[in-house]
Order: sequence, then C-alpha cells, then structure tokens
Amino acid sequence: MATKAYDKSFREEVYQNVDSGEDVKLCMQCGVCGITCPLRGEMTHGPRQLWALIRAGKRDEVMNSPDIMLCTSCYSCKVRCPRGVKVIDVMHGLAHYALEQGIVPRKETAKFGKVFWNSIYKTGRVDETEVPMRYTMMAGPVHGIFAMLEMMDIGRALLSHKRMKFKLGPGLPPSKKIKGIRGLKKMLDKAAAMSPGKEG
Amino acid sequence: MDKNQACYLCKGCGLGEALDFDNLEEVLGESGISEVKTHDALCSPDGVALIQGDVDGGVNAMLIGACSSRVKSDEFNFGSQVIVERASLREQVLYCSEAEYEGEEEAGEDRQMLAADYLRMSAVKLAKSNVPVPFKLELEPETALLVVGGGVAGINAALAAAKAGVQVFLVEKEAELGGFLVKMAKLAPESPPYQELEDTGLEELVAQVEADDKIKVYTGTTVDKTEGAPGNFTIALSGGDTLRCGAIVQATGWLPYEAEKLAEELAYGSNPGIITNVDMEAKAKAGDLGGLNGVAFIQCAGSRDQNHLPYCSAVCCTVSLKQAMMVKEANPEAAVYVIYKDIRTPGQSEEVYREAQRKGVVFIRRDEDYPKISESGGKLAIETKDMTLNDTVEIDELDMVVLATGLKPNNPKVVDAPLVALGMDQEAAKKLAAESKAQCDSWSVLNLQYRQGPNLPTLKYAYPDSHFICFPYETRRTGIYAAGAVRRPMRVSQAVEDATGAALKAIQAAHAAAEGVAVHPRSGDMSFPEFAMQRCTQCKRCTEECPFGAINEDEKANPLPNPTRCRRCGVCMGACPERIISFKNYSVDMIGSMIKSIDVPEEDEEKPRVIVLTCENDALPAIDLAARKGHKWSPYVRFIPVRCLGSINLVWIADALSSGIDGVMLFGCRHGDDYQCHFIKGSELANVRMSKISETLDRLVLESDRVRVEEISFNEVDRIPEIISEFMETIEEVGPNPYKGF
Repeated sequence: MATKAYDKSFREEVYQNVDSGEDVKLCMQCGVCGITCPLRGEMTHGPRQLWALIRAGKRDEVMNSPDIMLCTSCYSCKVRCPRGVKVIDVMHGLAHYALEQGIVPRKETAKFGKVFWNSIYKTGRVDETEVPMRYTMMAGPVHGIFAMLEMMDIGRALLSHKRMKFKLGPGLPPSKKIKGIRGLKKMLDKAAAMSPGKEG
Repeated sequence: MDKNQACYLCKGCGLGEALDFDNLEEVLGESGISEVKTHDALCSPDGVALIQGDVDGGVNAMLIGACSSRVKSDEFNFGSQVIVERASLREQVLYCSEAEYEGEEEAGEDRQMLAADYLRMSAVKLAKSNVPVPFKLELEPETALLVVGGGVAGINAALAAAKAGVQVFLVEKEAELGGFLVKMAKLAPESPPYQELEDTGLEELVAQVEADDKIKVYTGTTVDKTEGAPGNFTIALSGGDTLRCGAIVQATGWLPYEAEKLAEELAYGSNPGIITNVDMEAKAKAGDLGGLNGVAFIQCAGSRDQNHLPYCSAVCCTVSLKQAMMVKEANPEAAVYVIYKDIRTPGQSEEVYREAQRKGVVFIRRDEDYPKISESGGKLAIETKDMTLNDTVEIDELDMVVLATGLKPNNPKVVDAPLVALGMDQEAAKKLAAESKAQCDSWSVLNLQYRQGPNLPTLKYAYPDSHFICFPYETRRTGIYAAGAVRRPMRVSQAVEDATGAALKAIQAAHAAAEGVAVHPRSGDMSFPEFAMQRCTQCKRCTEECPFGAINEDEKANPLPNPTRCRRCGVCMGACPERIISFKNYSVDMIGSMIKSIDVPEEDEEKPRVIVLTCENDALPAIDLAARKGHKWSPYVRFIPVRCLGSINLVWIADALSSGIDGVMLFGCRHGDDYQCHFIKGSELANVRMSKISETLDRLVLESDRVRVEEISFNEVDRIPEIISEFMETIEEVGPNPYKGF
C-alpha cells in the first residue's frame, strides 16, 4: 500500500478558500455523515474520508473526487452531524472551488449545473423544457435527439398534465423572464463576488 | 439488664384476614412471651401510642410482628435502650405465600406455620439480644485529621477539614507544598466555555493553607509509623515529631508510567525530540515551546496495552489536548497532530477537544499498533496506520513527538507484572500476581503497624480503592481515606472534589470512633465484637481474615481487637472455630438457637424445611422487593438475616442439618474482581468456607446438594422465585433429611 505523507498546505487552502471549509477541523471521524448519505453506494470516499484526505493534504484526490459533485443537498448529514459540521456547504464549497481551479470532478454534474445556473441567471426561473433540452444537446445534436427520444413518455405525460410547455427546441420560443430580472442579476453577481476566496 | 418483654402483632395490610392470631399468641406463649397485644394498624399514631404507653410503663424488649424491618423504622424506634425485634410477617409471610398451597390438609396451614416459625425465631433472638454499650477508647478520643501528601488533593482536603473546624496536620515529603501542581504550566479548561487554559492557582492555595491557623504544615517530612486506630492514631514523623489524630487522608498522588519501558515500541530515549507528556509540561512551564513547527502527540503510549498499563488513565487525552493548544498558542502556524486510538474526554472535556480542533489540531486515528518513529534530516517522522483512510500515512518534518503516558499508583514497588495476567498461562499469571502484590503491599506511605501489613490493601492495578461507585475514598482500613490520584487516575478538578469528600468522611470516622459507633456501611451501629479470650486457641483465623485489619496480634498470637477499626461485619465471628467472638445483639449462639427453634414437621407430613441465611445488605432488600412485587415462593422456606455471609459460622449449617432442616441456602453479594460485598471479602470468604462444608456433610452422611450459595444483587429481584423453586426441586430429589425427629 502506498504511503501518504501528511502535508499541511492543502488543509490551510481549504480552511481559507472553501465555503465553511473551517468546519472540516471539527470533524471527529464518527462517520454519521457517510452512513446517513442516500448516495453512499455511489460515493468513492464519502464526506468523512474526504475530510480526512483534506487534513492529510491530498489535494488531487479531493479536488478530483466525483463525490463533491454527487451531493444532492438532502441535508441528512448536516442535520445529524454531532459536531455541527455543515457537510453540504463544504461539499458544494469544494465543488465550486474545484471548478474555479479548472478542475471538473464530475462532468455531467458540472454541465447540468451550468445549464441550470444559466437558466436562472438569464430568466430568473428554471424552465422545465429548456433546461433538459439544453443539457442533452450539450453532448451534440445526434446524442441529444436520441436522449430526448428516450424520455419521450415522461415528456408526453408532463405535457398532458401541463407541467411542461411545448417547445420546438432550445429558445423556440424563448423562456419568459421574471419581473425585475436585472435586480436578481445584480444580487447574484454581488453574491458571487462575496464567496470565500474572492474577498478583496 | 432485666428484660421486660412484650409482643405486638399488626393486623393491618391484610394480615388480620390471612393469619390465625389466637394460634400465634399461643406460639408466642410457648416461646416465653406472654404479653401479646394486637392492633389493626400498628404503625398508625394510635398503634405507636399503644407501644409507647407500654414502654413508659417499663417494657424494654419487644417483638413487633408486622412489616419488614426495612420499613417504618422511625415509627418503631423507641430509643437506644429499648430492644426492638421485627418479624416480617407482611413481606416474608403474607406477600410471598399463596393463601392455599398444594398438599395442605387445611387451607392456609403452611402460611400459618411460616408465620409461627418467624415469631419463634424472633422470640429467641429477642431473648438472646442485649442493649449494645458503645465502645469507649481508653484515652480521650482525638478528632484531629492527618493529611499525608501536600498536592492539590491534600491541600484541598486540609482546607475543607479546617473549614469544618477540625485541626489538621498536613505532611508533605518535598520541601514545598503543591505536589505535581508545582510542575504544571497550565490546567486544561475547567470552566465554561472551556476554551481558555487556566492557571493552576497553586499560589493562592498555598497562601490559604499558610493563613489558616487550623492547619499545621510539615514539609520535607514523611510518616515513619502509624499506630493505633480511628480516634486514637499515633503518628511518628520522620522529623522526630509525634502526632495524635483521629483519622487520616492519604493523598499521595501518582507516578508517571516509565517511558523507558517504551524504548522498543516508541523509540523513547533514542532522540531528544521524543519526550513524554510530563517532560512536555516542564518545557511549557519553562516557556520553552517557541520555535516548534511540527509536533505530534501519540496517545495511549503504554496505556490500554496488555504489556504495559492495561487500563485507561482517563487524563492523558485531555493533557495532550491542553499541550496541543499550548503549542498552537506559541505558534498558530505549527502543524500539530494527535495520533489516537480513541479520544476519551470525560465530563465537559469534550469541549476542550472541540476547542483544540478549532485551533487546527489534526487528529489521526490509529489502530492497536504503535506508530513508527524515525529520524530524517534532523527532524522526526512518524509512520502510522490511519484508520479513516485505511492506509499507512507518514507525517514528517516534526520537531517533537510527545508520548502521552499514563498514571501509576504512587508506590515505587508497583510492578507491572500483575497487570499482564491476560494472555498468560493462568497459573503462572496468578503466581506472578500474588508475588507482585506482596511486594507492592510491603511498601507504604503510612507504615501502618497493623497485623495485616503496612500498606492500604489494594484492589485491581494496585490502587487502594474500595467499591468505586458505592463507596469512593473508602479504603479497607477504617478511618483512613484515599483521595485523588492515589486511588485512581484523575484530573485536578476531580481530585479537588475527591479531597473534599474524603476529608468529610474522615471527620465523620473520627467522630464515630469517639462515640463508639460504626462508620459505613453499618453507620451508627453500637455493637462490636467481644472476645471470650480464655477459650482462644490462637489459631489466627480472625486476625488473618478480618477484611479491615481491625485485629492485631501479640507475640503469642492472641488477638488484640481494635473496635474503632471494626466495621461490625462479623467476619471474625464466622471465622472463629471456637465460637468465642460475639456481639451484644448478634452471636453464633443466637442464630444457632433461632435455627433450632424452627418447628420441623415429621417426615411423613411431606413438608420439607429450608433455611436461607440472607445477607442484610443486598439480598434481604431484594427479597422484600420481590415479595412486594407479588412474587410467590414455597412456604417451606425461612429467611434468616445475617450481617454478611462472612459472618456465617459453619456450625449453623451443622445445627440446621442435624435438627432435620432439609436444605440450607446462602444468599449474598457477588464476589471476585467486580465484587459487590459491602464488607469486601465477606462473600468471598463464605464461598471458600462453603467449599469446605463437604467435610461436615460427610460426617453427617448427607448430600452436598443440600447446601448452596447464591449470589443475589439488588437488581436481580425477579430471579429469586426461580432460585428458590429450583432448590426446592433439588431437595425433593435428594429426599427428606434423615435426621428428622431425632
């Protein structure tokens, strides 16, 4: 088994730059977060081990771990953590930090997140037709069309229940914007500027 | 004293309907009590007034046939000069028996016989009881307190006692007071919000001691000799002074576990950077923590390890947290690691753990194997298993590695061998343990001039303790209390609490000695063992077996009892083959006569009789509770309370079996390492003695199944009916006692 040398630079980096990163200090390795997570079967490390890796200074393993993008924000871990570690906040914080560093730990999540975010940023809402269309088309028009055909039954049902509007394609017709979209954009820009590691 | 006897029977709680009182009066008449009164509710003010009236009229010995002696004790207390004997008709007759029992010719006859037997036994007991006269010391009893050890526990014990108005002598072997506190830089957070390291407060403590005119301090002094007994200890000090005191608190602290023994496992001694937590504290005290960039603490260094200290010292985790915080305070950029098996932070120390984490200390969980420490380029490196990462990890660039070693009892003769019993050949381990224990017991702080050795008897791991939950600070030497880390590893704040408790217990012991009454657990008992010396054969059993070392010996091996050291358990009475030891209200003859007073039906009546000699401390309350819970058992069983199973003299068993009783059971407390015996060794001694009962049984040509010892603790109430019915089946199998009718 390969030995891992402890290196303090990465944990200092996380404490300073990642949203709620200092919470990682407080983990007492009880494992409640990991066992609580509904996606524990999908995760390679789980929050507990990620925290241990952060403390050990394993930058590459942490930043490339798909786990930090698998979190669905169900809040089970955050609610149950006996040390009050804001597990979800750290997970999302790590994901953001990785993206900022040009690392994409899990492509699908990153893509979907981008489409989702764009929809909110541009129109102030999540358009149920637009977001999936754009997401599937990102892999190329052919792949996109096949992927959409696979989901046709769900689409039809949603249409018949008026849960979704009919569109010919992305932006056809364009989504309706909310009132005061400018104000929202301003708010989002300000918030982005305030995120950890961006101060000054 | 001339006895003016009377009996009062209660008809309350359903007794009136269940029992034939005319018959009971007749039984009492046959037993020599002619004055019998009944009342519908004896514990009511009216009933008590009835008895009080007779007491005023001259009755001074009474039998009350009502509920258990464990209830209504205030109502039926008529002063120390009136003997009150209680027959438990409610719990031991009414509640535990069926109104009709199988095989009865007449419904309720077994129950009636049960009640009659209890009254017969109580009548005998009453006739044989005398009013105890408290033991008075020859010299004027002394109440001053000797505190040995001037550390945090000793100082606090002295202050607490002085505050209570007691004269205190504080003896410290070093030139200054303070003990280990002198060497400590800071204390881990002891008060909310548990984030700031605290000052030791030693100067203030010492100033308080010096300002107190009730406390006389002897520094640079040790105890050469301790003679006497509570209320009258004579202490010879190394300086030549002699003191007289009533009780003693021993607060002589602890010794750090020798890190030299960890040379192999943790490379101690191979590099000046590898130090113990004690060395670390000295460095911190000297302000020598600057310039540290990398420090690792290794927890459980020689603790919870069968080759070193098998126990957890409970303080090393908090100490490492404190020292890690000190390093971080000196240099917030320092990389500080704690490599642990489990972090154990009792009490509020969990907050200290959190605070250390907040300060950025990194915690790494290891497995049972010790980390490997090596040197590279003038720095230290550690290789350890990281349980969370399930991988071997390496920590390098360390300036210092601190081994968190544990605490040992303060006895230089403590050998760690007895602690290594596990995993060894059991016989070899036992031998080794006995040798080491003897060695450890031969060394002493107090140098007691006791027949059983100079030291406080030790329990597990050579700590002189008693039952750790029920009786803290009690040692097995009456009037001598252990406080602080001398009795188990503990923190400063715990030692302060301990010291206060021990000081108060010691004051109580000195006063009890002055008044001639027992201390815990028979608090206030005025009886004490009396020796009919003309019949003594100098067999030494009493002097050897007394769990509290109360009996000394002269050159000719005659026992020299020290009644103020006595706890009144009666173990000596059980030990004496000549039966020369008795109490005013408890003797071999008394219980023997009670057994013989039981009416044993003829064999053809098919009504066996079983007696249960029952420990008053745990088993008897358990039986009361079982009866009150509605458990029923055979009406052929009679309980006879005894002070301790250790007080059971084998002659009682012989008496019982030769008078036709079919079986004898002994209900007592658990013995062994996790004993619950209130007199520590009583239950164990009884067990040893019973293992030799077969000799008696062989002589009588009886089956060994007829005698059984059962361990009953108070929480095993529901097991009682089961145990009894099982024993009754056994008795049925072995058949009736052939001595019936002789």
